[in-house]
Amino acid sequence: MNPPSERPTVPASTPDLELLRRYEPVIRYTKGEQFFPTDVERYVRSCSLWAHHPSGRDQLVVQQDFLNISELVKERPESFGTVHYLRFIEPLSLSESADAIARQVRLRSILNDAFHPGVGRLARGGLLPRVADALFSISFLMRGRVPAAVAAAAQLDYFHMRARNDTFVYYGRVVREKDWTILQYWYFYCYNNWRSGFGGVNDHESDWEMVSIYLYEEDQQLIPEWVAYASHDFHGDDLRRRWDDNKELDFVDGHPVVYCGAGSHASYFRPGEYQAEVNLNMPTWVQSLLSLWNRFWTGALGQEASDPFRIPFVDYARGDGMVIGPGQARTWAPVQIDESTPWVSQYRGLWGLFARDPISGENAPAGPMCNRDGTPRSTWYDPLGFAGVDKVPSPRDMLPRLEKNRVELAARQDELGKLIPKRMEALQQLGVELKSLEGEPHLAREYGQLQARIQAVADEAHAMRRECAESDAVMESIDRRLEQLKQGIPDDPQAHIHHLERPVKIAHMRFARITQAWAAISLSALLFAIVTWLLISPHSLLGGLVLITLVFIVTEAFLRGAFIRVVGQITVLLAVIASVILFLHFWFWILIAALLALATFLLLQRLRELTG
Amino acid sequence: MTLSPRKKVWKKKRPVAVTVVAWGIAVLFVVRLYQVFQPLVPMHVLEQGLRRPLLAGLHITPFGNAVLISASYLLQVLGGIVVLIGFLRMRRWAWVILMVWTGFSLCVALIDYFYSRPNYVVMASDVIIALALSQSEVQRIFGIRMDPDEPAQ
Repeated sequence: MNPPSERPTVPASTPDLELLRRYEPVIRYTKGEQFFPTDVERYVRSCSLWAHHPSGRDQLVVQQDFLNISELVKERPESFGTVHYLRFIEPLSLSESADAIARQVRLRSILNDAFHPGVGRLARGGLLPRVADALFSISFLMRGRVPAAVAAAAQLDYFHMRARNDTFVYYGRVVREKDWTILQYWYFYCYNNWRSGFGGVNDHESDWEMVSIYLYEEDQQLIPEWVAYASHDFHGDDLRRRWDDNKELDFVDGHPVVYCGAGSHASYFRPGEYQAEVNLNMPTWVQSLLSLWNRFWTGALGQEASDPFRIPFVDYARGDGMVIGPGQARTWAPVQIDESTPWVSQYRGLWGLFARDPISGENAPAGPMCNRDGTPRSTWYDPLGFAGVDKVPSPRDMLPRLEKNRVELAARQDELGKLIPKRMEALQQLGVELKSLEGEPHLAREYGQLQARIQAVADEAHAMRRECAESDAVMESIDRRLEQLKQGIPDDPQAHIHHLERPVKIAHMRFARITQAWAAISLSALLFAIVTWLLISPHSLLGGLVLITLVFIVTEAFLRGAFIRVVGQITVLLAVIASVILFLHFWFWILIAALLALATFLLLQRLRELTG
Repeated sequence: MTLSPRKKVWKKKRPVAVTVVAWGIAVLFVVRLYQVFQPLVPMHVLEQGLRRPLLAGLHITPFGNAVLISASYLLQVLGGIVVLIGFLRMRRWAWVILMVWTGFSLCVALIDYFYSRPNYVVMASDVIIALALSQSEVQRIFGIRMDPDEPAQ
């Protein structure tokens, strides 16, 4: 437990840059990481500026060596749909691409900083996710992608940038909103090589990541309360941790530690390997069918739900590589930014290659203030809402706000206490009047109107009683919470988290090497086996397909230690198919049997009733 | 007349599905036992014993074939007894063997069906056994499926 009195505080009058420095995070990278936070000025000087027009034409606006920040932020009116973007790596010819890849191999051997994936992602999923993964890989042939040579060239160029000036920059922003002082730390990376370097989902030029720290003021001191790490495109409560959540947060001298995903640069609270899953976008009718099948599979058959179109990816945030931050061998060079910083507010284009990827995974991101389409980025204009802090009062305000709530609720209860008897009285009065109208046919209209009035008053009284009962329960809960706050009893720091992202446990697979080799070759081997069967015995295709697929699935299950589960699932699946066949052949007799069973059941029931 | 209170016994109870499957195995046991003797009776083995040759050179004789078929069914009968005992004692291995066997049997039955050699009785009994074995209550009692907080067996 880390009560507010033990947290690192600073005077509320501390200048912004000093404030940023006091809480700047320590970032731990994974061994093999190739890109680290850098300054945008150097990056922009290495880039060219382009415009992608709606017609599909790409136009060079400012060529490399002529571009700098002041040139970048110049106003450039364009037609709707035009995308401005930077290119860190100029278009490469075939020989340049080959040269870049060869040099990258040499650089990696010189750096001796190789990344070892351990149990590869393909071995972690089954055969079906591997099929989906193959479809995902094939999808790159149809959508835009960043070529592998660009990743290699980016690594080489960044290596030379670091050789000239090895500084690590973050862009700090201080925002004051409601009761909170928010420190935003923005990190700019020249390249995201998650796919090409670490078997991840995507590659793109440039990458922006962000960490937020939320402080509140008490006795003229700023006290840290929440820490939020940006992770991929997630938003909301799950992104933040309370400062005293020692199970989730690591600190170095009062500086929070961030574990950075290799290549993806996503931020994590705990070191480890995170399972990231990508769903293939299937047509709606396929999704509906799958959902229907899953309902039958889990509800009627009691089996585990599965989604064959979900591809497993791993985000490696091991924290065993380079460390940047206070008290470390490499420290930060902070730069303060806000809306008046020209490149923040005046350049709305992409900070790297526009790969024309329709689902945007391979397109470079825009700056801290904008989305890829140029619209304002919510993390910038709504730093509280980004991590769900907008609905959370500061600890200083918690007690007075709750007391105010309690007083308002008590006042309303008093009011209801007076209103309900009045309504009951009115109701009884109307009831008496209604009774006096009974048996008088000429007063039928008045009788009907009175009945309607009685119903309205009764509904109103019922609603008030319900409100009163519900408010009683709420007040009990508020009283308990008030007592807890007054006594200083700590509450659960993770109560706000809906889905706590934890690193996956590395399963110790039997025959791990064979399993990994199998994971790599299984899909191709399956296709080869099917082709061989087609050539050798085309007449018994069905039996062959069933046999080959079963052999592959059972082998797969055995190697992954999931033999019992998979055999159970296959058997149930075969039983469902067999049931359908039996029903189609014997539906008449099944109907007869069902009717006979129903008749017997009803007969027994009635006989039991008859005989007592 | 006094009515004594109902005894409440809190112990691992055998689900109905287990009893159904056990009866299924018992019926199969009887059928297989009949099949052990069926090929031997026309050969008068019960009266005369194994006096005729099983092999003629490298080829198996009709008598040898009948003995071989009978022996394979005998093996299944013995296996059936072991699985039945394990199943009634709710052993994990018995569930696994039975599920693998049912899966294999269903696979053969379906291939036979698509090649116009359907055996609906086998198919139906396999369906009943597979669905009974896949019930979560049955899986839990055999230690196949565990609740998240339950320690591994």
